[in-house]
Amino acid sequence: MKRLLTWAVVAACTVLLAAVPWLGDEVTLQFGINALLFAVLAQGWNIIGGYTGYASFGNSVFYGLGTYGVAIAMAQFNLPFGVGIVIGVMLAVVFAVALGLPILRLRGPYFAIASLGLSAAMGAVFSNLDIAGANIGLILPLARNDTMFYELSLALLAVATLSVAWIAASRFGRGLIAIREDEDAAGVMGVNTTLYKILALVISAFFTAIAGGIHAYWITFVDPAGAFDSTLNVRMIIMAVFGGPGTVFGPVIGAFLLSAVYEMLANSISTAAALVFGLVIVVAVLFMPKGLMDLGWGFRRMGLRYLLHNLRRSRL
Amino acid sequence: MSAAAGMAPRPVLLAARDLTRRFQGLIAVDNVSFELREGEILGLIGPNGAGKTTLVSLISGTFAPSAGELEFAGQRIETLRPYRRARLGIARTFQVMKPFPGLSALENVTVGALFGTARLSGRAAAREEARALLDFTGLGHRADQRAEDLGGPDRKRLELAKALAMRPRLLLLDEVMAGLNPVEVDEVVELILRIRARGITILVIEHVVRAIRRLSDRVMVLHHGEKIAEDDPATVLQDPRVIEAYLGKRRQ
Amino acid sequence: MLLVQIIANGVLLGGLYGLMALGLALVWGVLNIVNLAHGAFIMLGGYAVFWLFDLAGVDPFLGLVPAMLGMFVFGYLVQRYLLNLVVRSALLNTLLITFGLDVVLTYMAQLLFSADFRTINPSYAGSSLAILGITLPLARLAAFGMALFLAGLVWLLLNATQLGRMIRATAQNLVAARLYGVDPRHLYALTFGIGAALAGAAGGLYGMVAQVTPYVGASLTAKSFVIAIIGGLENPFGVVLGGVVIGIAESLAALTIGSTFTDMISFGLLVLVLVLRPARKLRAA
Repeated sequence: MKRLLTWAVVAACTVLLAAVPWLGDEVTLQFGINALLFAVLAQGWNIIGGYTGYASFGNSVFYGLGTYGVAIAMAQFNLPFGVGIVIGVMLAVVFAVALGLPILRLRGPYFAIASLGLSAAMGAVFSNLDIAGANIGLILPLARNDTMFYELSLALLAVATLSVAWIAASRFGRGLIAIREDEDAAGVMGVNTTLYKILALVISAFFTAIAGGIHAYWITFVDPAGAFDSTLNVRMIIMAVFGGPGTVFGPVIGAFLLSAVYEMLANSISTAAALVFGLVIVVAVLFMPKGLMDLGWGFRRMGLRYLLHNLRRSRL
Repeated sequence: MSAAAGMAPRPVLLAARDLTRRFQGLIAVDNVSFELREGEILGLIGPNGAGKTTLVSLISGTFAPSAGELEFAGQRIETLRPYRRARLGIARTFQVMKPFPGLSALENVTVGALFGTARLSGRAAAREEARALLDFTGLGHRADQRAEDLGGPDRKRLELAKALAMRPRLLLLDEVMAGLNPVEVDEVVELILRIRARGITILVIEHVVRAIRRLSDRVMVLHHGEKIAEDDPATVLQDPRVIEAYLGKRRQ
Repeated sequence: MLLVQIIANGVLLGGLYGLMALGLALVWGVLNIVNLAHGAFIMLGGYAVFWLFDLAGVDPFLGLVPAMLGMFVFGYLVQRYLLNLVVRSALLNTLLITFGLDVVLTYMAQLLFSADFRTINPSYAGSSLAILGITLPLARLAAFGMALFLAGLVWLLLNATQLGRMIRATAQNLVAARLYGVDPRHLYALTFGIGAALAGAAGGLYGMVAQVTPYVGASLTAKSFVIAIIGGLENPFGVVLGGVVIGIAESLAALTIGSTFTDMISFGLLVLVLVLRPARKLRAA
């Protein structure tokens, strides 16, 4: 019964969101597209980082590959957008398998750093590829249709979230969670850890790449620094963690909220906006390390003491 | 109390031949060979550091052997990864217990039901099985508590329930009685005997002598990685070599 | 002879790199804290030495002392009153909170110091030593020497002093250390402070051979990571050696395939090392 109610609310929200192009102005629309795409990135990370417990600092690789898939297809070969997306996704999936196999063997911070290294290296590679426009970048054909991009991004987010919901309820998802909680125990209980980890990374790469592709067509300009921007990694992680890693809606809420916070700060205090944003992150990690969703449960159980509860558990 | 006495020998379920495991110059398991028959309970004892847990890890697949062969139900398994062996029907508990900390007891056991030999396809069916096993091991009332919040004895029951949820053919128990008082020890012994009655073959690593005596059809002794004795409990526990291994050489 | 010059350049640069990574490796290896704001600490040290030189005419090498002291105090406070609060939670939380700290420090630096490029140019900056046909710029040579000196001090600290033993003991077994009367909060803060001081020194030296802006932090953090992992977290001299390896690799790469690839070299090496030496890494994790 409760689940039906939850999904009814979600459906209502989705319809409301879909109506934004006709309810809001141009600025809102552009903010919306950014927020939606970030939510997709956060959900993508959620699968490998939140559910499987492998905190990837390299999802920007898949984003960049999706970006360049579309950019090269459209700018260099005059192929349609859809084909570009397919190319970007294929590149991302191939890399997810090829790079995933060696680095998913690493645990803890080493996996994080290896993935970070890969994303930095990718940027360097593309800045030297002529077909990708090297350091100058590529310019895509213009499509003056923010509404289309908005609805595309919303549809992508809906599919991503539904996928995460399906994963969470499936045997596959239980396996991922088991890997996160204790990989050795999961292995001896019959979970094919290698296969599951690679699958999680591939699904994560899939959504991340499409988001990159949509973004590329939307802003019509692509260059290595923007496509493989390493701060993207931390931003998507923070949004997912702020909202609630390992939950279905947490990353979406986290992405929307933090995007809104950043937007408000940028409008009011501009230069200090990033500074305050940094402070927000610090405070959030201190008092709600398990994200907003857990904050919700925690508040219900013990009120404000929840905030101190977390502090007591993690302090030296 | 040997259930196998007077009956035709059961088929061999697990056979180890010259099993060896080295760690950077240290030999943890040294040319160990033995056979385990279906329905048997084999006790594995030996002083600390004798290689007992390593041997169990070799059987479960956590480590690969440096040399030697391992056969399960007639199939060579020494090169198989842990999850494959789990699906063939080998389950183990860990000496240093490894629950899934953030999950409830019920969710912990459900993983075993989903991924063991049963491979139950529905979450609902798996949860039912998990509940039944929690009741069987005496944890029914704690089904929704988080695993990391459970106390010592309850954690051991949880380890057991998780392993049973896999519907194994072979159960490897690693010091499940450590830290239990005599009453609790007897309870766990009863539990293990009931598990054997369900048709599961068991290998038990234990230090608690009472338990070994009551449970084991046969006992195997490891010392410095080598097998130094293998016989029925009474004989083994009186074997001077075994006593010497535990107490050290007697002063002349 | 050109090759030898290139390698010499790489070695000198590498010494500085090693010093940069030293603080990170110390804090990571001993406290298991992965500090994403490390580069920002280096940047702050660079600014400290720059302003002392620019406003008060203090020789940069002398300026290292107050800079290191200042960074030590700063690091101590950060650990004691901020990072100590998340030490026992998931590693991801330390990564995120230090990232937040990095953002705050970077933007504060931009607000206070502006984004102008700053270089520290003492009078002897241009001169160099010529030995056996190769030229060794004096500033870089001194930086290299300083790096070795500080690495030696760290090694002595960890292995030959009471304090060092206490630090290592606390890192390995918190409960036991407490039973011996050690206050881990203070000890953690001390260690982090030392790491910050080392970063500050690296920053001051960095300012003499390159330009300091509020944004240099990010790439320096990344590079320090690479060096710390390649050199190993256990031995300070290993870290310096790791730095030298990267320094030489970059110098050679700049000659053969162009300097745009230097980042890729260090990260490529990093991934290779991580993937090909699994046993050591898995055990540490």
